[in-house]
This record gives sequence, C-alpha cells and structure tokens, in this order.
Amino acid sequence: MATLSAAWMYQDRGLGPVDYSDDFITRKPNFNRFQTSFLGSFPTGILQTRFRLNNLLRRTSSVRRIKCEKNDELPEYVSVERPPYYSYFDSASGQLEPASGARASIPGEEYWPEGTASRVRAARAPEPTGESTGSPSYGKHPGSRRKKYKASVRARSSEVSVESSASLEPEVSEDATEDPKESSSEYVVYETESKAEGETEYELDKKLGRPHPFIDPKVRKPIEEPLSSEELWWNWRKSDKEQWSRWQRRRPDVETVFLKAMAETGQIKLYGEHPTLTETALYRARRHLFKEERLKAEQERLERIGPIAYYSEWVKAWKRDTSREAIQKHYEETGEDENTQLIEMFCHQTDREYRIMMGNDIRIKRDPLAMRLQEDQIKQIWGGDPVYPTVNYIQDPDEVIDYRGPDFHEPTPNMLDYLKEHGKVISREELEEILAKEKTEEVEMTDMDEAMAQAVDIGEKDEEGEDSDLDADADDEEEKITRNWSVLKSTPQLQKSKAKPKKDGPMSLEEAVDDSENLTDFLLDFDEED
Amino acid sequence: MAISVPLHQLTYSFFSNPQWKWCAKPSYSFSNNSQNNIRAIKASVETPPFPLFQNPKLEETPADGLEPADPDFYKIGYVRSMRAYGVEFKEGPDGFGVFASKDIEPRRRARLVMQIPLELMLTIRQKLPWMFFPDIVPLGHPIFDIINSTDPETDWDLRLACLLLYAFDQDDNFWQLYGDFLPNADECTSLLLATEEDLMELQDPNLASTMREQQKRAREFWEKNWHSGVPLKIKRLAHDPERFIWAVSIAQSRCINMQVRIGALVQDANMLIPYADMLNHSFQPNCFFHWRFKDRMLEVMVNAGQHVRRGEEMTVNYMHGQMNDMLMQRYGFSSPVNPWNVIQFSGDARIHLDSFLSVFNISGLPEEYYHNSKISSDEESFIDGAVIAAARTLPTWSDGDVPLVPSIERKAVKELQEECRQMLAEFPTTSKQDQKMLDSMKEPRRTLEAAIKYRLHRKLFIDKVIKALDIYQDRILF
Repeated sequence: MATLSAAWMYQDRGLGPVDYSDDFITRKPNFNRFQTSFLGSFPTGILQTRFRLNNLLRRTSSVRRIKCEKNDELPEYVSVERPPYYSYFDSASGQLEPASGARASIPGEEYWPEGTASRVRAARAPEPTGESTGSPSYGKHPGSRRKKYKASVRARSSEVSVESSASLEPEVSEDATEDPKESSSEYVVYETESKAEGETEYELDKKLGRPHPFIDPKVRKPIEEPLSSEELWWNWRKSDKEQWSRWQRRRPDVETVFLKAMAETGQIKLYGEHPTLTETALYRARRHLFKEERLKAEQERLERIGPIAYYSEWVKAWKRDTSREAIQKHYEETGEDENTQLIEMFCHQTDREYRIMMGNDIRIKRDPLAMRLQEDQIKQIWGGDPVYPTVNYIQDPDEVIDYRGPDFHEPTPNMLDYLKEHGKVISREELEEILAKEKTEEVEMTDMDEAMAQAVDIGEKDEEGEDSDLDADADDEEEKITRNWSVLKSTPQLQKSKAKPKKDGPMSLEEAVDDSENLTDFLLDFDEED
Repeated sequence: MAISVPLHQLTYSFFSNPQWKWCAKPSYSFSNNSQNNIRAIKASVETPPFPLFQNPKLEETPADGLEPADPDFYKIGYVRSMRAYGVEFKEGPDGFGVFASKDIEPRRRARLVMQIPLELMLTIRQKLPWMFFPDIVPLGHPIFDIINSTDPETDWDLRLACLLLYAFDQDDNFWQLYGDFLPNADECTSLLLATEEDLMELQDPNLASTMREQQKRAREFWEKNWHSGVPLKIKRLAHDPERFIWAVSIAQSRCINMQVRIGALVQDANMLIPYADMLNHSFQPNCFFHWRFKDRMLEVMVNAGQHVRRGEEMTVNYMHGQMNDMLMQRYGFSSPVNPWNVIQFSGDARIHLDSFLSVFNISGLPEEYYHNSKISSDEESFIDGAVIAAARTLPTWSDGDVPLVPSIERKAVKELQEECRQMLAEFPTTSKQDQKMLDSMKEPRRTLEAAIKYRLHRKLFIDKVIKALDIYQDRILF
C-alpha cells in the first residue's frame, strides 16, 4: 500500500528533492491509508474531502519547505481554508466540537442518582425477537405452550379426549342444569332463526320495490302513552348511574343516619327517603327530651322506691323483699342500716350484671338502635377499622358545625337575671357598698396609729410621745418607703395620702392586725431597747 | 421456585452424571450474535443470503435436547418490565431451565441476572392479616372467604392455590399468559398428583403416607369449598378436584418464601414469582434471590466471585439442609448427591471423623462441608454430595488428638458396610433393576418416574456410602 501510494505521489508531483519526498511519505502515512484502503464502499462525501486534501497536498508539495535547525516534527497541517462552520476544536478538551448548541457533557454513571443505573440497564436491554407459534389460552389450559406438551399431546390426543369425556359424563349426570353451561367454552350461543325460507309479504314488497308501509305491520308496536315529564329525556333529572366521585354522595351525619335507621326499623316516620333538616332537628330535640324525661323518671323512681329496690333490678340473686318497710324491719332486727343492706345485696351481684349496670363494657351493647344499625350505616358515622380503614370517614371541610342545643328555640333568657342568679354580676349598690366598706377600713387605720401613739404616751410624756409618734410615723413611713420605694418615689402623693388616714377614729384589734405588716408594727418602745 | 419437573438432573452436573457434561460449543442461533451481524431469527438452517456472512452450521436440536423456549415466554415478561440480562430460557425433555448466554467474570459484587417486578407475582403474607401483593382479590369476592377460612399456620399452599386459580380467571392478569408455560397435570412431578401405585413405587412408607395425607387434605379442602352450592364465580375456578390439586402442587413446588420489605412493613410472604421459578435446584447453586424494595423487584443474582461459563445452568438452592424425602414431598424431585441425606445407623460402630474427612479432602464445619479441591491434586470425580452426606450421617467419633486404631477402624467399617448392605437388601428391588426399569419404560407418567428415581437415588446413596467406606478403609494407613 505504501509503495503504491509512493508511486502515485511520484507520478503527480514530478521530480523533486528526494529527501523531501521521503519525509513527506514517511511522515504522512495516515493520509496514504485513507486514500487507498477503502474501495467501493466508502461514502462519497468523505472521498471528496480526501480528494480535496490530496489536491492540497499536490499544490503545497511544489513549495519548498524551510527546514529548521532542530529537525523537529512537522507542525500540524494548517490549511488556508476556513474550518467548516459546524465544528471547531474545543479549546478546553481539544476535541472536535460543534460550533453551536453544544451541550454540557452528561456525567458518568458514578454521578447518577440511585436507581438510574438499573433503569437505564432495563431500558437498554434488547427486546426479544422471535415469533411464537402457539397462542395463549388465558388460563384455560395451563402448560399448553410447553414444547413437550405439544409433542405428548400429539401422541396421546386420543387418550386425553377419552379421559376428558369420561370425566365430563359423571358431572353432567349430576347437575344437568348448570354443567352444560359451564363445561363448554362458557360462551353463550345465540340461535338466530334463519330467514331464508320465509319472507313476509312486507319484506317481499320491500325487496321488489312495491309500495309498502314504513314499518312492518307484524313488527310494529302500538303507540304508547306519552312519557311523563320524569321520563322525558330532556328533563333534568338525577342520572341513575353512579356519581362520578364518591365525594358527591350525601354526607353522613350522626343524626341523619340514626334517623334513617330508625325510619327503617319503623320507630319513626319520615316524609321522604332522607330526613330533612327540620325533621332532623325535631327528632333530635325529641330524643333529647325523651332522654331527659326518662332520666328524670328514673331518678324519681329511685327516690320513690329506695335504692335497694332500685338496684335490685341488676341483682338477680337477691330474692328478698326490698320495699321500704322490709328494709326498716330488717334494720330494727339486725341493726344494719340501708347502706349495709345495699352492700350486702351487691355482694350477690355477678360480674356480668355489674358490667351491664355500669354500662362500661363495650361487648355488651347498650343502645338498641346502634345494635340494629347495619354495618354500612355504622361505618358511615363512625368509620371503619381505625388501623386498616376501609371506609373513608368523610367530613365536609366547609361544614359549619351546629352547636346549638335542643332548647335552641326556647325564648332567649334575660342575661342579666341569669348572670345575677349565678352570681356573676352584682348590682351597682352592692358594689358601692363593698367599696365603701373597703374605704372605711382605711379610715379606721389612723385610729390605730393614734391609739399606738396614745399607748406610748402612757409610759412617757408628751415629747416622747411625739417623738415616738413621729418615730412610729417615720418608721412606718420608712418601712413603707423601703417596701414600696420605687412606687413612693414615683408617686409623691402617696406619702401624703398615708398621713391622712392616721388622723381618724380608733381601729379594732382585728383591723389592727390586718393592717400591720408583721408584729414589728406593734413594737413601740424603741428608745428603751436602744 | 422449583420446577416440578426434574430438570435438576442436569443441574447438579458438577459432580454426578458425566453424560451431562457441558460442551462449550454454541449451538443455538440465538447465541450467535457475536459472530455474525445478522441475527438468525429462525432456528432452522436456511441458505445464507450473502456469501460473506456465513452462518456456522446450526443444529436443529442440540445434543442434550435443549431448545430455546418459546419466544413469547420472555416477551410477555419483557413487555411488563421484567428483564433477563445475559440468560436465556431453554426447554428440555425434563422441563424449563435458565442458562447463561454469555460468560460472566467472577466479580466481587453479585451480578444481576433477572429482575421481576412485583406486579407479575402472586404474593400473600404468611400471617394475619392477609395482604396480597398485587392486590387482585376484590373486596367481597367469595374467594377471600375461602382464603380466610384456612389456618394461618399451615395452609399456605391452599391459599396460594386459590390465589393462583383466581389469577387464572382474572382477565388482565399476567398469570393467564404465564400459566401456559407451567407444567400441566401430566408433566408435573409433584407427588400430590401421584396415584396409589406411584406411591407404592416409592418404597418409602413414611413418605407415601405423608403424601396420601396431603392429597386427602387438598381434596377435602376442595370438597368443602367447591361444593355444588357454591356460586359460579368460585365454581369456574376449579371445576374438578384435579385442577385444584394441580394448583396446590404448583403452589407447593414453585412457592418462594421470603422476607420482603414492602413499604415500611417487613413481612414473611409466600410468593409465586413467574420467571424465577423456572430456576432449577442445585446443592452448589449459582444464584440467589434478592428483594429490592425500592422498586419492588425480585432480583436473581449470580453469587459474587462466581465464574459462569456460557451455557451453564443458573441454579438456586431451594431448601437448605433437607433430606431427599423433604425435597420429594415438597418439590417432587430427589437427588443422588444430596449432601444432607441421612441414614439411620444402629449399633455402636464408629469411624474416625477426622481421618474420614482427610481421606476425601472434605473441609469445613459440619454444617458446611465442602470438597476442598485445592488440597486434592488429582482428579476426583468420586467425591460428590453423597460423600459429604456420608461424612455427616455415618456415626463417627473424634476425640482431639487421639489417633485411630486401624484394626478397630476396619472392624467398624465392616460393620457399617454390613448394615448398609442389609438396608439395601431390605428393598424389594436393587438399584440396577430400578435403572433398568427406568430405561425400559417409555413415556412413563412423570410421577411414576419421579418415584422410581427417588428410590433409585436412595439406593445409589447407600451404594456410595459403601464405596466410600471401602476407599476409606484402603487409605487409612495411607
């Protein structure tokens, strides 16, 4: 190949210095290979570029090259043409890059988020080719597409059919009605009556083109009554089919579901299928009142017949007389009073009876209506299993919950009287009374001071009394100052106000004790102790 | 997991049957992609269109009877995002098998070979509350009541059978398509489908009675739940008890019990997994199952460091540490090289464990004896799982450094061999007769074949023990 090309080069170029041509050839083996190796199967575009390069080679070969001292490698071939528009050598990587629209390189597998590698591998897996000869039986004949089955079926087809028919016969004899439907391919076969033999005259007329009525008189149905407005298709009515979303159904409310259940069991009568708001409210109030009445009746009964008689309902084993007289007699005889006899009775109660009485055991149903509620009704109100909920406990987020009680429609009570009754509000007079009481207390404090002053006076004469008075005053003031120092400083009128009450009448002992901060207030003989 | 059809005979080919040694020549058109650029789609040989691209000579059916499986088999799974990388499914006279289509280098990481998504499987949780993945049982369907009536502890196979039958009935279920590739009642070797004479042929009264009980149990369950008053929805699932019993046998033999994590819940599940159950059993398996919980796929992965050659069978260990009768009972096959076979020896004769192990170059702990080929230099084709089983079941003594006394050892060996021969004599037929019977029967019933093979393997095992004792005796005084 190399020699061929060398000869080819020689032919084109003509004579030149030998070493130059040697260099050329030996250092450009690539070009030679490109030119000669691909014979017929190379796309023409590339051939053209190669030829272009060849032409250039031919042109430049006639120019003398300057040889350097160092005899280093030939530099890269620089062409006078501009590089093609759509690619360039990337400065960063040195690779050929498209001029526009270059995308950032996709990171390698190490940088993929987890799971991507397996998904990519699954996507890259080649699709299976190949056509299958069999066809699926969709569960009817398991193993039918196995190869060995096919082989054995051919061999034993007769046996299989004999066996299957034998197995079918006893079945057919057992249930004659159902089996023929099932043992066959479960397709319903319609029998169409063939019209070939008889054509009615109407059809003959139609075929032959003779005048005939529009509808076959034998097939024609008489005109019926016009549809009512309910049935007319252009009338707005609720579609029979399911609503497209379960959220569109009626929201179940405790009251409504209970009422519906009550109506179903016949306890109450509703106007329509579903209870209306009025009915709901009405029955709710009624139920409340009934409950209250019943509770009151029970309480009254308890009071009437006494506790032992009342609770003996839940103690089956207590057969004795439980009337008041009997209890009284028993008390007289044995000295056990009512409570003791009650305890005695309860000792005879069984556990189950206790639980029924207390009503705490969930296993024993208390509400007869709840017992009779069907499961879906219960689920509507209270939802299904809380851990594995099978039913959505549906609540309307925009619902305004009605907290009004059953006596909502009672007359509005007089708030003031109500509050007064319950002691939340007092009248103005009372308030002033209380305030006045507080004031008079303050007034009496000054008496106390004077009494204190007078008490000191006894031991000493006036000047000491004045001193002690002043001292007491000053002490009091000082104490008060030390206590409420900041307050006193900021509110100067306080000191004066404190002076005022001291001038009034004498205080009682309790008031003095209340008024004093601690017992030190009663220490008056300061000078003596000093 | 397994196939009820004993293709496993080919699988424990590492040691036992020399006739099944693999030759490396590629003989299927499917695997010739590396050699030519045109994929030959048809298996038959046709005149090559272009002389440059010459197909190598193709054989119609290769020597060991393995043909590539129906292309639809993989296609129905591929469409539902199941993938098989580097393996292909082939079918032989004994059933399906999974074979490597290219060499796999031994890597430190286990290599993924197949992945099967959860939507293709039939899974049911082992304990209450039953949870089905995928949830195909609709609320209120009577099949759920039937499943609910089973005992949570023991009736897992009945539940799976009901689920399988229901899946066959459901219209867009994958098992309607996949069921065509399951072994049908003629091909299934599970002993549940065996007749009385097959059970007689087992020559193992315990196993026979166990199988009778199982059959009775399955049949009673069918009668209880498929009585004539039952709605059509249920009735059409299993018109006759044979179909139900077939479903139970499929469920028993192909069930994979794994602990899977789905969502946040880790549960023990009984799973019927479509393509993974075509893997056969081997005591030195290639592959194992792994559950990838992120996208709920079962992955079949090649063991790390396992060198797999092209055309080698991919195998899994179904049950670890069980005797042949358990394998037979559950999966319907048995193996002559089961390293967990047990023979009950009576008497006091004991041989020295350490010297027995060293004679055969068996190393490892008793739970995991293996043949150490690094020590043994010469080609030992005698040592296989049966010898390992012998090492486990023979009565042995081992007392630290106490050396053996050759005369006592020989005596013990003779006694043990005598016992083995007595055991062999108790069988009505010898192994040679069994083998002859197998060869002479043409087109036998699968269960019959399996039963005869079971007893043949038992006798072969005892034979092997005798031979091993012989060799041990020879090499005692190296």
